[in-house]
Amino acid sequence: MLSMKNISKVYQTEKVQTHALRDFNLEVAEGEFIAVTGPSGSGKTTFLNIAGMLEPHTGGQYMLDGIDVGKLSDNQTADLRNQKIGFIFQGFNLIPDLNLFENIEVPLRYAGIKSAERKRRIVECLEKVGLASRAKHLPQQLSGGQQQRVAIARALAGKPRFLLADEPTGNLDSLMARQVMELLESINEEGATIIMVTHDAELARRAPRNIQVVDGQLADFTLYQNKTIEAVANATAMEV
Amino acid sequence: MLEIKPILRSLMRSKAGAAMLIFQIIITTAIVSNAAFIINDRMNYLSQETGYPEDEIFSFSVMTVGEVDNLSTLLEGTEQLIRDIPGVINANLINNVPVSGGGSASGFGSQPASERGPDTRAAYFTADENIFETLGVTISEGRNFRSDEVIVGSTMNDVPQVVIVSKGFADTHFPEGNGLGQTIYFGNAPMQIIGIVDKMKGPWLKDSAVDSVVVMPNARASMRQKFIVRTEADQRDIIMRDIESVLLEESNKRVVTYMRSMDAAKANYNASDILMVRMMTVIICVIVLVTALGIFGMTVFNISKRTKQIGTRRALGARKSAILRYFLVENTIICIVSAAASYASSLFLGEYMMSEFSLPALDNSYIVVTIVCVFAISLLSVLFPALKAANIAPSIATRSI
Repeated sequence: MLSMKNISKVYQTEKVQTHALRDFNLEVAEGEFIAVTGPSGSGKTTFLNIAGMLEPHTGGQYMLDGIDVGKLSDNQTADLRNQKIGFIFQGFNLIPDLNLFENIEVPLRYAGIKSAERKRRIVECLEKVGLASRAKHLPQQLSGGQQQRVAIARALAGKPRFLLADEPTGNLDSLMARQVMELLESINEEGATIIMVTHDAELARRAPRNIQVVDGQLADFTLYQNKTIEAVANATAMEV
Repeated sequence: MLEIKPILRSLMRSKAGAAMLIFQIIITTAIVSNAAFIINDRMNYLSQETGYPEDEIFSFSVMTVGEVDNLSTLLEGTEQLIRDIPGVINANLINNVPVSGGGSASGFGSQPASERGPDTRAAYFTADENIFETLGVTISEGRNFRSDEVIVGSTMNDVPQVVIVSKGFADTHFPEGNGLGQTIYFGNAPMQIIGIVDKMKGPWLKDSAVDSVVVMPNARASMRQKFIVRTEADQRDIIMRDIESVLLEESNKRVVTYMRSMDAAKANYNASDILMVRMMTVIICVIVLVTALGIFGMTVFNISKRTKQIGTRRALGARKSAILRYFLVENTIICIVSAAASYASSLFLGEYMMSEFSLPALDNSYIVVTIVCVFAISLLSVLFPALKAANIAPSIATRSI
């Protein structure tokens, strides 16, 4: 489903060349839940950005659902991002001037989904995250945990095959973090593939597959067998 | 997909910035539409044809000092002396110079003044039969004065029995078009219209009745007498330079003053209007620039405030064109909301200007054109920052700003 071969990312300034990723190889099968850990500055977010097509890679090949992402135009990349990927950000990234309904509606509008279908999906997603009664509220009227649940609802509304979460619990207390994690687990159980960047070792251990990024490379991985998935085993075997 | 509803709701939730822009657009439209109207009004006035060959005509005053036996005879001699100068087409004594900004006007009625009938206001000139050639105008109907009809003297006690009027006067006073041969009254004195000049302007170009002129055959001599002279165009400046010495040679009991060409006199009379047109043009440019900069600045501010939001929208699947469209639609909504208020404020300002400064009523088309122009300028002002916003990388969404 997701295949990265020898991916590199170089940030070039006038005087400095920074290799954020080098020879990065990863295979992700459908339905996996992967936790990505690593020290600050190791390249976790760069990996997530490239996986989510938020920025282009410098070298190597990235295939998403059989599509060579490196060969897409800016518009094609935007469309593919909209169709296949849902994002959950550390800072929630909700639009403060829009209420919850309108926030969730944003990616659906870009997908060109008709009004009635948009409404149906938004209501469904809000119900899923337990915030159906607060559709007209503005983000600032909610707690951090609730805002992250709205962000998850927004990520789910487009029915993406991939959920990319960047420190989804980084701004939450432990109770809310656990609630959000449980929500992600239930979404994964329904079939969505999730890649989650986190600093929290406790949360990472809850993911069936755990990979570590150090100095821009895939350093190590551990497969937690408490939620064994055959596809995960295959994928990790490839990495070994 | 124009996102009109969410943009509208977003604007409603953060009203301050939008309200400032709306206010600025309203003020700009009101001032620019009225200023443009006034400029056009002035330009029309400034570009009006006088009907006179302005580059061939000049005038001056002769102030006679000391005792003179017969002033009329002296000045008629001077008049003839000027006519004899090579390059002079004709010259005439005149009470006031056309298009100079100074003159005389009166009401001319269909009945004697004592009967208080309706009258038509007209500027009047007193001169003899040479005045029409001197001014370069032609009598289109009727005839010129005969020399025996010209009253020579130094007072207005003797009122002539005939007049020649401009078509403007004839058409106003006799709308049926039968002015020739009719009698008009200057006070209680009757005067028959014996000729009509097609086009003739009075002394004041700003006058609403500038085309209404009456010429009376009266060679009135005064101690401070105005002369008007028409020359070959290429000879005018030379003659203007030399004429004073010719006149002083004839008599040294005189002072020649106020020597001015007709075009210079007209330019002098119009100077304040030309200055006003230039000032208003500058005001329009400045106010439009300020508005454009205001919209530009506000958009740049909005974009810098919403960088992460724009990055998030891009991450969620917005194409660059969608971001560009977002800001253009937002600006369009602000302009549409401003349009009605702009129209009303422009009309209000126009009414105020009309009542306070006696300006003509503001033409609606000026408001509509100004609204369209302000809209176009505001779109252009938004375009550059919006293009910049469209280029915000989606990866901003995952960065800490």
